[in-house]
This record gives sequence, structure tokens and C-alpha cells, in this order.
Amino acid sequence: MTSITTSGVTLNIKSCRTKFAHRFVRSLLQIRNHAPPSSSSSSEEKLIQKRRQRIKIAAYSSMAHAVGPRMNWSRALLFKLRNRACRHRKKKRIVVIRRKTKKASRSSQGSVPVDQAKKLRRLVPGAKSMDLCSLLEETAHYITCLSTQIKVMQALADHLSK
Amino acid sequence: MNRALPEMLNCMNAPGTFLAGNSTDMTVLERQRARMKWHQHEHNDPIQLHQQQQGYNFSGNELSGVFPVPIPAGQAQGFMGLVCGDSEVKPDPCSENRWAELGYGSCGLVVNNNGAAGFEEMINGHNNNGNISRTFSCPPTVAAEKKSNDAVLSQKISSPAGKESFKKRKADKVQSNKAVAAEDDSTEKRMKGCAEEGDSKITEQTSNKNNTNNDRESSGDTSKDNSKASEVQKPDYIHVRARRGQATDSHSLAERVSRTRGVSDFYKSLSLLLQIILFNCLCQCLIVIIQVRREKISERMKYLQDLVPGCNKITGKAGMLDEIINYVQSLQRQVEFLSMKLAAVNPRLDFNIDDLFAKEMFPACAANFQTIGMTSEMTNSAYVQFNPVQQMVSSCGLDMGINSSDLALRRTISAPVSIPETFLDTSCFTQAPPTAIWDADLQNLFNVEFQQGRTTPFQSQPFTGSIEASNLKMEM
Repeated sequence: MTSITTSGVTLNIKSCRTKFAHRFVRSLLQIRNHAPPSSSSSSEEKLIQKRRQRIKIAAYSSMAHAVGPRMNWSRALLFKLRNRACRHRKKKRIVVIRRKTKKASRSSQGSVPVDQAKKLRRLVPGAKSMDLCSLLEETAHYITCLSTQIKVMQALADHLSK
Repeated sequence: MNRALPEMLNCMNAPGTFLAGNSTDMTVLERQRARMKWHQHEHNDPIQLHQQQQGYNFSGNELSGVFPVPIPAGQAQGFMGLVCGDSEVKPDPCSENRWAELGYGSCGLVVNNNGAAGFEEMINGHNNNGNISRTFSCPPTVAAEKKSNDAVLSQKISSPAGKESFKKRKADKVQSNKAVAAEDDSTEKRMKGCAEEGDSKITEQTSNKNNTNNDRESSGDTSKDNSKASEVQKPDYIHVRARRGQATDSHSLAERVSRTRGVSDFYKSLSLLLQIILFNCLCQCLIVIIQVRREKISERMKYLQDLVPGCNKITGKAGMLDEIINYVQSLQRQVEFLSMKLAAVNPRLDFNIDDLFAKEMFPACAANFQTIGMTSEMTNSAYVQFNPVQQMVSSCGLDMGINSSDLALRRTISAPVSIPETFLDTSCFTQAPPTAIWDADLQNLFNVEFQQGRTTPFQSQPFTGSIEASNLKMEM
């Protein structure tokens, strides 16, 4: 069994992958079952878009569940997904604000690593108020999990498409 | 010390007696002589010989002698010893360099290296101002005194080597006195004694202080004389005020105030020292913490370097962080793309749900039974395949899937020899090459499914040995 230790937090990739696969397949089945049986009124693209969103959310949530509440990012991800309905309404506003902040940050460029750390904080969920040390740790864990997730999804897609 | 006191009293009284008839030159000469005498005494005194080594001993004595506020000398010594001990414990080669780097070089030097000398000087600095102004208050020596004051100041600020500066100051004084008194023999003597004077200057000053103290407190008549002298001296002398608010007149209210101020100055210096020590400790702790953090960060960076492909060639934090950001972004995009792909594929799933599961399960099975022969593997996989499929299909309630699986099962049961061919014909087997991703990880997943699927009537039917073996394998 290959296990990676990052300062106390052990990440067992195999068990993580298995859990993720299990959960993801189950959620896929659920999505398929709950999907409306080929409603002709709504267009195909919309349906696919909706399904895509659902699958993506299912993938992320299943990954977070597989990792468990040990890591910060998984907790943040679960919280975000749980409160997705509330956030969905405010999405447009948030996008506008983000654009403004981006411009502001571009105008006032500090030292290079700080700027990049900010970017990284934006990418990794739940890393907005972290020091650099734990940010890097979380990033490492997040990357490993993402890569395993991608592998599983890739395999599934390959099998299904053929 | 005690022996030296009467001499100094004489010295102090001398100007008063001489002043009636003689000029100020004589007073200077007399004073020099008295000092020479006192120096001779001093050489005999064993305590004062060791005074330079026991800088803190001196300070304790001085405290008890000078300041009216009763400070036990032992305590002061103890404290000094403590401070000294601290400073002696500290020196570790790299820390000094660090202090130098941080720009606390001077402070560190005072505490670490020349802790004794530096402190001595600080205290001397306080006392010198008063003492010098008192002893050398004749008009011709004003310039020299100023010089000496300057020298003291410069000592206090920067120079850690106390002895040299003391000598320098002494030399200045000597020169000035020379110019005023023009007494060759006495100056020669003094030049002789200059080396020891540098060392014993401190004791001299303390004795001066003690002198003035005892003058006032213990011996009434001498104090009267002294006051007389000071009164008489007043019109001729230009009083140079000390820097620290010490009055030149030893019996005025200002003097008393200045003494209390002296105490406060001492405490100030102590608190300053303590602050410096605390600051040093804090800085050291901070440096250690920062170093640990840096090590941690570099460790994480290395780990990330291994994790992110194409990050090994890049050196520098910024570039690596850039690479990491790009990688994370690409991964997230990939997830999005794959979810899109799965969504596009999903509608077709409705028709061949069993296929999905067969495909999903197959690579795991293939990995599981690599050692077994081809035919047995096929049968195993077939068996293995259809249990979960059946279960899932039953749960989903799709007639198509059940029919197909039933057919397949019947085939497997009826003709175990022809299983490979029949299954090769079916869609699921030929399509799935055993990918490395699914190798051993979905085994567990599959096992779960398999054990759930065991409840199906499939089990009750009689089977060949190979399939039972496969069962065992699966459970393993």
C-alpha cells in the first residue's frame, strides 16, 4: 500500500481512490435515475449542461467525502457544495465584484511569491486564510486527490464511450 | 577605600585653605599631589587591584556608598552576577553573527562579549559627569573637562574597549593640567601611574563620591569646612553643570535631587539592560521559528516538486508556484472536461446499464485473476460480472438488463466449456483492455458488490470447481 505522509496527515491513495470510485458511481447512477426520461420540450444542450454540472458536483463531493474531514480543503468543499443553493442566487454579483478586485490587484503588484500565493489560495478551496506552510501542504494533498479523481473519471469515460 | 578617604578629604579641603592666599594654580597642584598620594595607597589596596576584574563588585559598593537609598550591595552583586552569567551562557558562534546581521551588533556586543566592561562604562558614565564637574571645576580646566566629558559620551555610545578611552581621557586631563600648572615632576609621576590610573579611575571616582557623601553625613566639621570652601570658591569658579542634572554644588537641594535621579538612572540602565536581554532572547526565538518555518516550506516545496510534472527543472519559489498554479488549474479544467464527457455519454447509459457495470468491473477482475488460465479467468469474470449486474438491474427494475443477464447466465451454466467464445462475442469483454488505473483499487469496490450479490439464487446452483476457486479468490 502506498501512503504519503505530509506532516501527520496520512493520505492513503488506494483507499481514497476506491472510496471515491464507489461514491462516484453511486452518485452517477442516482443522477441517471433522477434524470427526467428524455423530455422533448427542453433542448439537448441544456440537459447536458445540467447533467454536466451535477456530475461535476458529484465528483467533487464524492472526493471530499472520500478524503474525510481531516483536510481543510475537503471540509471547505463540502461546506461550499452544501450551501450551493444559497450562493447560486448571488453568483452574478460575486462575479462582478471579483472582476473589480482582479483589476485592483493587478494595479498594485507586490512581491512575486505573495501574488502567486494569493492565486493559489483562490484555486484551493478553503485556503483563503492560511499561512504559506499549510497552504502548500493542502495544495499537495489537493493535487494528489484531483489527479486520482481524474484518473477514475477518465477510466469511466473511456469505458462508457466505447 | 577607607584609607583613601582622608586623603581625599584633604584634597578637598586643600583648595579652601590655599585659596585664601594663593592662586588657582596652586590648588590644582595640590590636588594633583593629593591624588598621587592616594594612588600610592591605592596600589597597596588589594581590593582595588582586582576592581577591573570585578566590575560588578565595584558597582555594588558604589551603590551602597553613593546613593542614600539603601540598596544591599550583595543583591546588586547577585543581580550583576546573574546578568553576567546570562551573558556568559549565551555566546554561541552563529548567534553573534546573526545579531551583527540584524543590526543589533552593538547591543549584542555590550551584552555578550563585553558585558562587564560595557555595564561598567554605563555606570561610570552616570557618575563621571558629576564627579568630574565637581573635582575639576577650576576655570582653566574647563576645556579639558569638556573634552573628557565628550570622551565619556563617546565611550558610552560606542566603544567597547573601556581601558583605552579611559587612558585617552586621562591623557587629555594630564595635558590640560600640564598647561595650567606647569609642574614637570608631578606630571611625570602621573604619566607613570597612568597605566594603573586607567584601571583605578573608577575607584577614584567612587572614592570621590564616598568622600563627598561621608563628608556631609558622618563628619560634621569637615563638611563645614567643605561648605566653607565651596562658599569661598564660588565667586572664582565657573560651575559647569553636569549633563544628568547634577549640580556642581554638593549641598544644594539640586544635589539631593540629582542623587535620587542617579538612583533612577541606575534603575533605568538596569531596565535597559534587561530589555536588551529580553529583546535578544525574543529575537533568537523568532529566528528559530522563522528557520523552522522556512525548512518546512522548503520541504513542502520539494514534495510538490515531485508531485507536479515538469517542476523539477524550475528553480525559484515564484516559478515553482506558477507551475503549481498552472497544474491545479489544468486539473480542475480536466475535471470539468471529464464531467462534460460523462454527461454526454450518460444518455446512452440508459440502454446498457449492465454494460457500464460489466465494463467497470472487468478490469478489476482481470487484474485479480492474472495468474489463472485464460478460460478460468473468463468464467470467473463472467460469474463475477453478473452478480452485481443482476443486483443492480433488479434494483433499477429494467427488464432489458435482466433479460440479457439471464440469458448470459443460462449460457454460463449450461455450457461452461463454451463460455470464452460466447463472452467474447458479447460487447463487454472485447472492449475493455485492462487499464492500469483500475488495477487493484476497484477490487475492494468489487468485493463489496460481490458480497452483496451473493444473496442471489446464483449461489444455490451447483458449480464447477473453477468457479468456486474464483469465489475464494475474490474473497481474498
